[in-house]
Amino acid sequence: MVTVEVFDPAMCCTTGVCGTDVDPVLARFAADLDWLAAQGVAIERATLAQEPGKFVANELVRAALDAVGTAALPAVVVDGALKSTGAYPARDQLSAWAGVAPVTTLAGLPAAMSALPMAGGCCGGGSC
Amino acid sequence: MTSAPESTGTVARPEILTAVLANPTRYLFFTGKGGVGKTSCAAATAIALADAGRRVLIVSTDPASNLAEVFAMGDVTGSAPVAVPGVVSLAVVNIDPAAAAAHYRERVVGPYRGVLPADAVASIEEELSGSCTVEVAAFNEFVTLLTDPAVAATYDHVVFDTAPTGHTLRLLALPAAWTGFLATNTAGVTCVGPVSALGQAQESYAGALATLRDPAVTTMILVTRPEASALAEAARAAHELRTLAMTQQRLIVNGVLAAGTSADVVALARAGREADALAALAPELAHVLSVDTVPLLARAPLGVAGLRAALAPAPPDAPLGAPLAAVTGAPGAATTAPATTGRDVPGVALRDVVDAVAAAGPGLVLTMGKGGVGKTTVAAAIALALADRGLPVSLTTTDPAAHVDDVLPDPPANLTITRIDPVAETARHTAHVLATAGSHLDAAARDLLAEDLRSPCTEEVAVFHAFARTIADAAGRYVVIDTAPTGHTLLLLQSSAAFARQGQSGADAPAATLFGSLSDPEHTRILLVALAEATPVHEAQALQADLARAGLAPFTWVVDSSLAATATTHPVLRARADQESRWLAEIAASSPRPPAVIGWLPEVPTGAAGLRQLTAPPTAAPATTARG
Repeated sequence: MVTVEVFDPAMCCTTGVCGTDVDPVLARFAADLDWLAAQGVAIERATLAQEPGKFVANELVRAALDAVGTAALPAVVVDGALKSTGAYPARDQLSAWAGVAPVTTLAGLPAAMSALPMAGGCCGGGSC
Repeated sequence: MTSAPESTGTVARPEILTAVLANPTRYLFFTGKGGVGKTSCAAATAIALADAGRRVLIVSTDPASNLAEVFAMGDVTGSAPVAVPGVVSLAVVNIDPAAAAAHYRERVVGPYRGVLPADAVASIEEELSGSCTVEVAAFNEFVTLLTDPAVAATYDHVVFDTAPTGHTLRLLALPAAWTGFLATNTAGVTCVGPVSALGQAQESYAGALATLRDPAVTTMILVTRPEASALAEAARAAHELRTLAMTQQRLIVNGVLAAGTSADVVALARAGREADALAALAPELAHVLSVDTVPLLARAPLGVAGLRAALAPAPPDAPLGAPLAAVTGAPGAATTAPATTGRDVPGVALRDVVDAVAAAGPGLVLTMGKGGVGKTTVAAAIALALADRGLPVSLTTTDPAAHVDDVLPDPPANLTITRIDPVAETARHTAHVLATAGSHLDAAARDLLAEDLRSPCTEEVAVFHAFARTIADAAGRYVVIDTAPTGHTLLLLQSSAAFARQGQSGADAPAATLFGSLSDPEHTRILLVALAEATPVHEAQALQADLARAGLAPFTWVVDSSLAATATTHPVLRARADQESRWLAEIAASSPRPPAVIGWLPEVPTGAAGLRQLTAPPTAAPATTARG
């Protein structure tokens, strides 16, 4: 089974509840992971503030952190290979990496638009 | 322990707090805004119970607790209860939730120092520095005390000089917090993380909640002052606790002035203000089981002897003069008193602040302070004074509409008042989040998310946005706002993804603009409003430190309702005025500029005429009474 690991920044909420607005990228990404899981992909998600040990244990993630600091987050690892850093990938990217047939309803959505950079968590500068 | 030394000082029959002491439950929680005398009331209650032969533990969770000072003890920090000298069977334990939270934070972060890059470690620490972590850490300590059989076996009564917040209680009462949702959720929540990480068993929380709700064992004691704003706050707390099924409530009105036969204008006016406030008690307070009235003392009771004296005051004829004489001279020697009052108070006038704001050109003035210190009144007075100079002014307030109409029902044409309703703004934000982020959650997770959205941060963020829109509409005007975001909110916004993308999204443009303005001291002036009393000063210092985390500093402090700036000769009020000097000195040391000091006013300053008293030129007759 394919495993997708997501390493989130130290944010208190992955919805963006605490930010200036609900970040649609975060909500969309959460939905994308749900969809991947429904396709039989194993999903593991860790947040820096709650499970820093997982960030240290993964050599690729740790190396990315050492190189550029928290700008490396979020990081996505698929079956042990670092696929992206500093952004939440779009659904078609995720599905390609995981070897799952992309869903047709998203055909019109350019990847560049939905893969927006994340400078920090929604509450990264201070939890609620 | 020996019973010999204290027998003479033991209170046989307390004359105050009689309702609270009549039939006390095992657990007594004292709750109220800072500065209402919560700690003194809790300490007096604990002493009276111990003197009646009960075994009592008094608990403080205030990091800046003055419990040690109230009991005239040395250091009472540490997790083990310490016996209070001079009282048989009374022990005190001072829990510092900030320290507990810091300990937890270090446990999480410590192993990764030097392992993860510095910015990653810093981001974890900041994440775990929020008020929720501290709040939950405090509640964790409550839980231990409420559920530990050893505590129940050792003490007949446990007196808490604080109470958990409604937000914490609601959060912990939600079953979804305990269903494993935490470990697997993709929705994420703000406050539940610390709950799980601080790690009490679910049964402990459930047991603690049941104990809090059991009227046979727990009483919530609301402490307030005989002032309209403080009573409104008590009513709000009473209502919130009732909705959480904590219905066993009692009220203490602390610091009621006995004007007696005094001819002192300030004393008579104050007694009148208090009587008016108490006559208009809110309906939410009609449910309380009892109301205890505690007279205003010449000084906050300190030490066991002082607290016992407060519990059984001597008849009003003799006593007041004696302790006061040393401080102010004989009460009869009124001729010397005015020389040390009013104009000798260190600081500047509020109009000097207005001068500085007016000279700087259009910009922002934010008043900041804990509830009840008068920040709306100060904001309205400044706005009016600017408008009186012919400048275009917008006053933006989060106060209820009725209060704004009370404060300034008659604004001049060049003063626009805009009202932001925090409840409506928060509701709008909440509905938006639930409709978007919450749409893919099951019912339990949605409840959790909804409660999370009731955290204080959510309201601050929603209000910040509303302010930003209002300010954007008021370009070129002097904008006075009766509240300011905390440093925590600013840090939270600063790091949010939306701000990082501000160049790509127009939605947050007003917020981004406001954010930029706040850090420009030429454009924005933050005024920290406080009272010259221990707890309000400590709370304002905490707000200042919080602002500093976000790189902001107040322009100056504003001291509201200073008795020292009046010419009262009433013995009790004069003594209180003299005690302000210590806090005025501390404020002067904390404030970047000499603070503006506003004298206590005989009438609640409402309407344009009332507000102009706050910024009036110093032409009023000297040394008569307070201005007005």
